[in-house]
Amino acid sequence: MIEVQNVTVRFGGVVALDGVEAQFANPVSGIIGPNGAGKTTLMNVVSGFVAAQNGQIVKDNQNLMGLAPYKRAHWGLRRSFQKEEIADDLTVAENVLVQVDHSTLTAAHKNKDVAHVLEIVGMADQADRPGARLNSFERRLTDVAKCLVGDPKLIMFDEPAGGLSVEETARLGDLILDIHARTGAQTLVIDHDVDLIARICSETLVLDFGRKIAFGPTAEVLSDPKVKAAYLGTEDI
Amino acid sequence: MLPKLFHITPSGAAGLLFAVFAFFVVPTLAGSLWLNVFTSMGCFTLATAGVAFMYARLGMVSLTQVGLMGVGGWVMLRLNHGFALPFEVNMVIAGFATMVLGWVLALPALRLRGLYLALVTLMAAGGLEIILSTFQFPNGGSGFWGVQTGSGAAFRRPALAQSPEAYLRYVVAMVTSGFLFIELHRRLAPGRAWALIRRSEAAAMAAGVNVTFYKAWAFGISGLLAGGAGALLAGSLGLLDGGTFRASESVMLFALAVVGGARFWLGAVIAAALFRVLPALLNNWGVDADLSFVIFGAGLLHAVIAAPNGIAGQIMELFAGLIQKLSNKLGLVASIVIEGSADD
Repeated sequence: MIEVQNVTVRFGGVVALDGVEAQFANPVSGIIGPNGAGKTTLMNVVSGFVAAQNGQIVKDNQNLMGLAPYKRAHWGLRRSFQKEEIADDLTVAENVLVQVDHSTLTAAHKNKDVAHVLEIVGMADQADRPGARLNSFERRLTDVAKCLVGDPKLIMFDEPAGGLSVEETARLGDLILDIHARTGAQTLVIDHDVDLIARICSETLVLDFGRKIAFGPTAEVLSDPKVKAAYLGTEDI
Repeated sequence: MLPKLFHITPSGAAGLLFAVFAFFVVPTLAGSLWLNVFTSMGCFTLATAGVAFMYARLGMVSLTQVGLMGVGGWVMLRLNHGFALPFEVNMVIAGFATMVLGWVLALPALRLRGLYLALVTLMAAGGLEIILSTFQFPNGGSGFWGVQTGSGAAFRRPALAQSPEAYLRYVVAMVTSGFLFIELHRRLAPGRAWALIRRSEAAAMAAGVNVTFYKAWAFGISGLLAGGAGALLAGSLGLLDGGTFRASESVMLFALAVVGGARFWLGAVIAAALFRVLPALLNNWGVDADLSFVIFGAGLLHAVIAAPNGIAGQIMELFAGLIQKLSNKLGLVASIVIEGSADD
């Protein structure tokens, strides 16, 4: 269970998140909303990159707000960014290994774990390739492997399907759907691809101008007139 | 498949061959003047390796390196004249003392990036310049500062390297150890953390990397190498002068590290050669050594416009291309990849 409790973020006079509340109980949940709605800001609050003026983020009774960003990663928080953050001068395996370098497990155990997640995402045969020589989908898959390695508890993807083809998006969706069964982690996905969200997310939070306008089962949320209005606008008569 | 700690890349093999050449051949061919010049070049190669490593691994610009060399040299001279410890012990203490000072200077600057970090480190270099030129370097006098007028006391060189030839070999061995020390870090967790920090600090934090800690670690290594270089320079000359460690020299050393190629071991060697050997060569030819500044400027323009990987990068690419052509002629598949060999 991920609990977002009354989270408020202000950037000067702009209220980026206004008392947002949600409880994500399903393995894969979505956060959608028009541009500037506050989706990435909420993800940044959960990651610790943005300090909230008010509110708590609680996952399995652990309040994340007091932890530095890197300590949240040690705890089990994983996230990807809108742009794949893969170091060009590290190999695929090394890029994934960074995520567990802090761990006290043996090197052999870490290497085995890295090899395992690369196998899952289908990048095992690319393990020795430098990041600089990967295409965007391979970089995205490496990002997913980084999210799977170690003992993740909460994984967040920020627009993972951006720039991917329909086939690549479908494969990415399969991988995300498989995460809970493989790792036990809960996943939050932000994306503008409503088809992807409808397919993989059981429940969805919709934000608009920093406020929650809908939250619940994805199919119901997507048919909500308020959500349609937020995406498509309303006709002024 | 997963990272191998012990393997030699083509660039690394070339570096080791170069070290062997510098160790065995150069001291036997060089006259007394050039022995001093090459020894000084070796010391500055070690210092350049530190500043280039920070720039190449983390994108951090430090303009304090020559000032930190001065600190290492000061500690070395103070220990040499104050205590009867072996050269190596003094050198290690000088290196670690400089590393700690580097940390102290760096801690307020660690949250800064780019131009702001460069300016803060430049101000630190200015402060060190004033301190070193005001209090001078110990030469056997009494008291904390250890400065006396007139001729200074004798400096004890390492037992293994009493002659200028042997001392040059000693410096070559130390510089090679410094490069191996950097390479070892590159292949372990710190190297991976630095690569990710360079890519994006946010991504590094999201991967569990304590950015401040690893930046401080890099500053520490750079300071350690600068301190060691200063200690070796003190051992070469037996005395030091504040004029050697001006803040402007730190700026020059960084610029030459970019000209030489910050990602490559060869880049540090080229930078140190331009810094120390070129002016001596011009002097030897009866040309004003200040001409070297014009050459440095032209080299910097060239690097900024046409050679982002510096002269060393161009040389590496040239060799990679030649080997590729040769391999194609012989019907072999060349596996020399410039990216793979770049970081040695």
